[in-house]
Amino acid sequence: MITVDKLGYTYPETARPVLREIDLNVPSGQFLGVVGPSGAGKTTLAQALAGYIPHVLGGEVTGRVEIGGLHVVDTPLPDLVTRVGMVSQNPFNQISGAKFTVAEELAFGLENLGVPRQDMLIAVREVLRRLRIEHLAERSPYELSGGQQQLVALGAMLVMNPDVLVLDEPTSQLDPAGSRLVFEALGELRSRDITVVLIEHKIERLAEFADRVVVLVDGELRMDGPPGTVLAAPELVEWGIGHTRFTTAAVRAGGRWPSGAALPVTLDQALAGFGGAR
Amino acid sequence: MSIQVEDLHYTYSSGTVALQGVSLSIADGERVAIVGQNGAGKTTLVRHLNGIFRATGGRVLVDGQDLAGREIAELARTVGYVFQNPNEQLFARTVRAEVEFGPRNLGYDRARRDELVDWALTATRLTEHATSHPYHLSLAERKRVAIASVLAMDTPVVVFDEPTTGQDHAGVRDVSEVIAQLHARGRTVIAITHDMDFVAENFDRVVAMAQGRVLADGTVHEVFADAEVVAGAAVEAPAMMRLAQGLGWTESVTTVERFVAVLAR
Amino acid sequence: MATLDFYQAGRSRVHGWNPVTKLSLSLTLVVTAFALPVLWWPVALLVLVLLPAVLASGVQRRFLATMSRFLLPVILLLFVIQGLFYPGGGQVLLTLGPLSVHADGLLFAARTALRLVVLTGSFLFLLLTTHPGDLMTALVARGLPPKISYVVSATLQIIPAFRQRAQGILQAQRARGLRTDTGLVSRVRALVPLISPLILGALSEVDERSIAMEARAFGSTARRTSYTVIPDSTAQRLARWLMLLAALTAIALTTTGVVS
Ligand SMILES: Nc1ncnc2c1ncn2[C@@H]1O[C@H](COP(=O)(O)OP(=O)(O)OP(=O)(O)O)[C@@H](O)[C@H]1O
Ligand SMILES: Nc1ncnc2c1ncn2[C@@H]1O[C@H](COP(=O)(O)OP(=O)(O)O)[C@@H](O)[C@H]1O
Ligand SMILES: [Mg+2]
Ligand SMILES: [Mg+2]
Repeated sequence: MITVDKLGYTYPETARPVLREIDLNVPSGQFLGVVGPSGAGKTTLAQALAGYIPHVLGGEVTGRVEIGGLHVVDTPLPDLVTRVGMVSQNPFNQISGAKFTVAEELAFGLENLGVPRQDMLIAVREVLRRLRIEHLAERSPYELSGGQQQLVALGAMLVMNPDVLVLDEPTSQLDPAGSRLVFEALGELRSRDITVVLIEHKIERLAEFADRVVVLVDGELRMDGPPGTVLAAPELVEWGIGHTRFTTAAVRAGGRWPSGAALPVTLDQALAGFGGAR
Repeated sequence: MSIQVEDLHYTYSSGTVALQGVSLSIADGERVAIVGQNGAGKTTLVRHLNGIFRATGGRVLVDGQDLAGREIAELARTVGYVFQNPNEQLFARTVRAEVEFGPRNLGYDRARRDELVDWALTATRLTEHATSHPYHLSLAERKRVAIASVLAMDTPVVVFDEPTTGQDHAGVRDVSEVIAQLHARGRTVIAITHDMDFVAENFDRVVAMAQGRVLADGTVHEVFADAEVVAGAAVEAPAMMRLAQGLGWTESVTTVERFVAVLAR
Repeated sequence: MATLDFYQAGRSRVHGWNPVTKLSLSLTLVVTAFALPVLWWPVALLVLVLLPAVLASGVQRRFLATMSRFLLPVILLLFVIQGLFYPGGGQVLLTLGPLSVHADGLLFAARTALRLVVLTGSFLFLLLTTHPGDLMTALVARGLPPKISYVVSATLQIIPAFRQRAQGILQAQRARGLRTDTGLVSRVRALVPLISPLILGALSEVDERSIAMEARAFGSTARRTSYTVIPDSTAQRLARWLMLLAALTAIALTTTGVVS
């Protein structure tokens, strides 16, 4: 569970706050999508949730962030990382360098936590299978394509099984089938009561998989609600986030989209609405 | 400028076989999107077009000339390549110096250089960052710097490796606009991407790859209409194509524009 | 990957030995070769231990190629210098104008050369048949602090990654028209603009990297476990004790002057 209360943040050596008055409560097992234009503060928010702000990056935090009852600012990082895992934007910089094969790389976090070997074997095999990267298990983590590296970075966090998972554009370099697979895998975490916070530009996928979406613009939370409502809001275009193709098609269709029907954000909604149109 | 790839094979020194017989022919002024599963060999393929990689089998011809034995620096005049990971590409102290590097090496005169650099910075919305250090920008912005630095070389062929990765809506629109401008100037544009709507809206032709081979090569509609190709290349049809198919339409629809036009009939 | 170039994967018995056993073997060979002042002793070690082990692991071609590349010039130099300029003198074997070749010098050169062969050969054998990752895992299992193992492993991988990056940037610069083909001066000049991106690139990634390590619980104080198990056996354990004993005996024999 995540509780954010009036969170503000300013990076060291800069004057302007990058996050302002953020209030956000995410119950256990919820799949939350975060959207916003470039520079809105999405990455900064992710780092604040996971404790790298302020523990690694410094700067000035106001307000409060709690993860499962732990105050992020007051809790040392090693105690936080078992609760909250973060996958960051650039896959290359997430390879530990300590390991020579993908399988060992995936196990690295578990080794550090002292997980018994039998459990590690099962967990690593499961993640390799879930992300369909069994064929990469014995390859060097440095000799992979961009998308393959991104899957390994994600797998390395999934395997650690934290209560809260914060992901910063984890599918940006994945092929469409791979990104669908990841969204499905994240969706399944609900059944294990894992909270997912996903920063994503692929709003069509968020529309399909997320329980709730918040919009971050210029360091402020401007909108918060179910994906169907938030992602179809007209302001999203003005804020530089844009709409799904389905929404745009319905808007551009004018009178041919049934009057009174909510704008579609998924294929199924578009099919239902346009079904009677021609 | 035309490009011919003939039975191209490439194996990394670690022993990974990345390309196993790719043949492809791209005509002057075409807009070609390369799609396909992670690890299919897309990046490996395009790195042959400007000589960064040397074929371990087969050959590549640009404008009818075999690239074997030709210097990368010489090929730079013809083929511009934007790297998948901008961190591998950027090195200068300011964005402007970075963008100027290519045209300077190519020996363009001052006036042409300035004109190209200004155009490239405007097209990628980086003008206000001209004096920033590339390493102080966000990943998405660095990607745009990488794009600008290749645009400014004004090459007849421009190859983009996942140009929209990490870009927000406005960033994707900028890239589309850049491609339209290049096309209007008669340039050959090749882009690797995982965004199928971006493919439908900006490209005439799609090459789908899997496991070091070309699975399909045709128009957007042809390639995505083939369920076997879609599954094999780990892709998915553009949103509007899925919608039209779901509605049972027989017309070829791949973009919102076309969808609305067909709907209005 | 360049630093792994030494390691030659294989399925031999020797490849399967515990890395610590191989490390002990290498150390014992070196210690006894240097401790015992008997000229033929390194020869015995080579013929009876090292060469059979190399043959058994099937890495002899790489072994011989690398040994001759590294050692031949050194040994040649050793014989020339010691043969001609050895301070002791001794019997003159040959006179070449103002220079004369001394027997003591040659003997000294032979002794040093043989020891060098054992030294280089032992460690080359270890590197050729042992994956560095396995060696680190085995050493951590024996109490080597994981941070030290991390530094070694990361260095082994980051140096080639760094070099790859330097090459990558150079290629990216060429791809934008930089000519680096003509002459040494322009090549050196081409390296200058590389330095700042390499260092800045590395620096700007420090935060990201430390975040990635923390995220993987590297700062945890838990007792670490190991994903990879390195096989060991009673026979190997026994062998390691015997090797330790042999090394100690050799040292004892020399220091007490029993062998001289
Ligand atoms: N530096 C490298 N060393 C060894 N193998 C590599 C290297 N880079 C990529 N490969 C391998 O070569 C194959 C093709 O990789 P390539 O980067 O061309 O894929 P791609 O189609 O561009 O994938 P992506 O969509 O993930 O970028 C893959 O099996 C990959 O693991
Ligand atoms: N390390 C940093 N130091 C100073 N300012 C930063 C730093 N990282 C990001 N910023 C600034 O904070 C703002 C939000 O950035 P970020 O969280 O990366 O946005 P997003 O992830 O939404 O694109 C931007 O204005 C960016 O320039
Ligand atoms: Mg970000
Ligand atoms: Mg690629």
